[in-house]
Amino acid sequence: MKLAPRFAVLLATAAVVAGCAPQTSDNSSSDKDDQSGTLRVWLFQEVGNDPKAKVVDSVVAAFEKAHKDTKVDVEYIPIDTRAQRVKAAFNDPKSAPDVMEYGNTDTAGYVHDGGLLDVTKEFGAWSEAKDTDPTAKQSVTVDGKLYGSPFYVGVRALYYRTDVFKDLGLQPPKSMAELAATARKIHKAKSDLYGLVVGGAYTYGAMPFVWANGGELATAKGGSGGSYTSAIDSAVAQKGIKAYTSLFTSGNCPAAKCAVMGGNDTITAFAAGKAGMAIGGDFSHSAVEAGKVKGKYAVVPLPGVASGSVAPAFAGGNNIGVLKSTSHRTLAVDLMEQLTSKATQASMFDAMGFLPTFTDVRDAAAAKVPFEKPFVETLAAGTKFVPASPGWSEIDSSLVLPTMLQEVISGKKSVGAASKDAARKMNDAFSSAG
Amino acid sequence: MLVYPIYQLGLISFFQYTQAQVSGGEPTTFKGFGNYSELFSDSQFWQVLLATVLFAAACVVSTLAVGCALAVLLTRVRAVPRLVLMLAALGAWATPAVTGSTVWLLLFDPDFGPVNRILGLGDHSWTYGRLSAFFLVLLEVVWCSFPFVMVTVYAGIRAVPSEVLEAAALDGASQWRIWRSVLTPMLRPILTVVTIQSVIWDFKVFTQIYVMTNGGGIAGQNLVLNVYAYQQAFASSKYSLGSAIGVVMLLMLLAVTLVYLRLLRRQGEEL
Amino acid sequence: MSLLRGLVRRPWRLAAEASALLIAVVVAFPLYWMVLSAFKPAGEIESSEPRPWTLAPSLDSFRRVFGQQEFGRYFVNSLVVAGSVVIVSALIAFLAATAVTRFRFRFRTTLLIMFLVAQMVPVEALTIPLFFTMRGLGLLNTLGSLILPQIAFSLPFAIWMLRGFVKAVPDALEEAAYIDGASRTRFLWQILFPLVFPGLVATSVFSFISAWNDFLFAKSFIISDTSQSTLPMALLVFYKPDDPDWGGVMAASTVMTIPVLVFFVLVQRRLVSGLGGAVKD
Repeated sequence: MKLAPRFAVLLATAAVVAGCAPQTSDNSSSDKDDQSGTLRVWLFQEVGNDPKAKVVDSVVAAFEKAHKDTKVDVEYIPIDTRAQRVKAAFNDPKSAPDVMEYGNTDTAGYVHDGGLLDVTKEFGAWSEAKDTDPTAKQSVTVDGKLYGSPFYVGVRALYYRTDVFKDLGLQPPKSMAELAATARKIHKAKSDLYGLVVGGAYTYGAMPFVWANGGELATAKGGSGGSYTSAIDSAVAQKGIKAYTSLFTSGNCPAAKCAVMGGNDTITAFAAGKAGMAIGGDFSHSAVEAGKVKGKYAVVPLPGVASGSVAPAFAGGNNIGVLKSTSHRTLAVDLMEQLTSKATQASMFDAMGFLPTFTDVRDAAAAKVPFEKPFVETLAAGTKFVPASPGWSEIDSSLVLPTMLQEVISGKKSVGAASKDAARKMNDAFSSAG
Repeated sequence: MLVYPIYQLGLISFFQYTQAQVSGGEPTTFKGFGNYSELFSDSQFWQVLLATVLFAAACVVSTLAVGCALAVLLTRVRAVPRLVLMLAALGAWATPAVTGSTVWLLLFDPDFGPVNRILGLGDHSWTYGRLSAFFLVLLEVVWCSFPFVMVTVYAGIRAVPSEVLEAAALDGASQWRIWRSVLTPMLRPILTVVTIQSVIWDFKVFTQIYVMTNGGGIAGQNLVLNVYAYQQAFASSKYSLGSAIGVVMLLMLLAVTLVYLRLLRRQGEEL
Repeated sequence: MSLLRGLVRRPWRLAAEASALLIAVVVAFPLYWMVLSAFKPAGEIESSEPRPWTLAPSLDSFRRVFGQQEFGRYFVNSLVVAGSVVIVSALIAFLAATAVTRFRFRFRTTLLIMFLVAQMVPVEALTIPLFFTMRGLGLLNTLGSLILPQIAFSLPFAIWMLRGFVKAVPDALEEAAYIDGASRTRFLWQILFPLVFPGLVATSVFSFISAWNDFLFAKSFIISDTSQSTLPMALLVFYKPDDPDWGGVMAASTVMTIPVLVFFVLVQRRLVSGLGGAVKD
């Protein structure tokens, strides 16, 4: 058998050839600023996409009318393919769009990858921008510079079963302590229901507990470097983690079933009538409506620690940005503004139920649709956002926070030990991402 | 088309190479064995590696056993049951992995699944325990990969001249003896390929673990190497670290393959 | 004598057939559940009373699948990709497998193992180098960027597989053919080809399925031209991070699985009885 030596030779030659570096592409910003031509736009494809496309079509029609010799080419891409496509667009500017929609937690990563255009000046000069909700603005901001315009926000609140509450003579909880007590009462009276369905992999369901107790995911180190230090192991944050993980008991939501659940699973359980309460988003509306509990539920803001307060929620949502490689800078920025204008967001709310990012437009929307009221209240009470660091995408994808929660829930580690480990991993990610 | 990407892979594993470098935002820097030492100093990596090896071995053995047994069964039955079984198996094979994993998860769901009802298990959760979660994933992996073994081995048996089999049967040999002494030697080249391929695939299981254990199980207890690589490296575009993991996987699989081929050769089988 | 044997053998065969059918039912059950879920109305897929039937079958999920932009186009694209991959890789693999089996040359073993190496690493690691290769060839955003790597990835396996089938053909047969005055080409196409056909079918099924179900290359190389997209992309629309549409996923998967079954029914006759030539079935 002479295989091994042959391979050694092969590997050796490969090593010798390895003088040169791996391939990279040149994605410096384009200096061109053409005033006509074709603009390419990428938007996310929703499951029922037609109403969205209609609103976009009318914006595009108006835009093409206002700018002579300009064509807009809109493509709808499946959300699940966004990571590969956006990377590919950064690597091959020829295939890249001029304007694109992106999830707001991706902002810092895309900026770090050198893909998004700094639009601080244009956004500041835009007359409508002053009404933008501060958290929404924070979600397009990295190191004090703006890299897009907020398109819509998504936020979570407390869904509860009106029929169950009536049966048991319960009132919607006013504080976190009441929330836990109510959850246990429900499970005790109706053992086939989870009191409050919670998930060990449901980061954005757990974070309000940390924030309400005064904790933070991470704090900015100060200076303009924009680097962060994890604060998940601080005493107040640990208190929040304890409050959330103590819901995983046989008295509410048994660890054996709830530890693996993610956000979708909790909503599914609620929609199927398996839970008295759940933490769900405005975007969960249709899923709950399609379930068994249709007509038997209501929503209130998730309560904070003090009675009558609202727990800070995570402000999710999408932004629209301009790519650095665009050769139609002025036109692209203008189109971005048109796609996220007050008028567009108002019709987008009517068409798709996307919550507007302008406070005045949002209040008008809430007045029209009572279902949205608790979500708008939650937003008004102040929301939080993830650290604007490229390290966040690594923390998110390597499941640092779910792992921490699950370690506590399954009894593998104490809150202190688990949160210290999580903090260490977060700091590694922040520092390695620069 | 094959050699070049591998060459790039090895190259990348020695550099600092993330999306920022790929798109030209930052210069590439040579890191030597930096990526490898980062990997080897992570205690979780070693745990994951061990779990991967054991899990893959269990998958390979189960898949081969089920596939071969059913291939022999196919030769013993008439056309209609044969076609029915083949179509069922083909359906399992053709189902996209994400969908297959989702369906299996639905079937075994403690609240919504029919399996617990049929077996009378109440609301037993299959994904909470480490071993039971691995077992559930193993079932799905076997379900979607045995058809390949079955169809291939069946095709192999059909290619064996039937006179040989008839002669053996006339001599009064039992089924097991026919399989051991007549079929196995004739099918060895095919079995070799099937085994090597199964090892490669099962070592690289990704979708099933990712979907069925929600990204690696409770506190990462069900992580396997490919999912680990995805979470630590590819999802956040750390291609260099991911490539280093890829190289480690490549070397391990290569070693297993070479040892296996050498064993075969020792038994007198020419490659 | 043979009558007696038949009587003894019959119950054995019946038992085998019964178990084959039983196993088929078990194997098909998840498939049945998939199709069933596709027909269930929204909200019933995950209900606390899982029923193996539905009282109100609904085509809504299928409507959402077929209602997508250019769904038919995706379907044709997928057929083109899978079809070209199957035909090209089968032809090349047959010739290459014969070469590596019937001829001995230096580095033959090394070459065979090199074929496998590309499959041993995570595909994500290879998409970046492949991306630059495709960009260099100007194939990005075309079906070519899917066909080429798919052929490259299915060939090694196909060659390995067919090698086994070619080897199983006794050398004596080849000698006999030459003694009868057959040329090399004639032996290759008229004697060897039919003999290894079942193996060719098995490998074709394999390459068809892997090309048909490919997500990763389609996600990475078809960037800006949706008209070149393939069917799996139509499936991915239903995976929304916060609100996945399981009915749509199941319906799209059902639609995707059917062509594979059709392809198999078309070729399976060859797998079961396609042996001609010197070795009689």
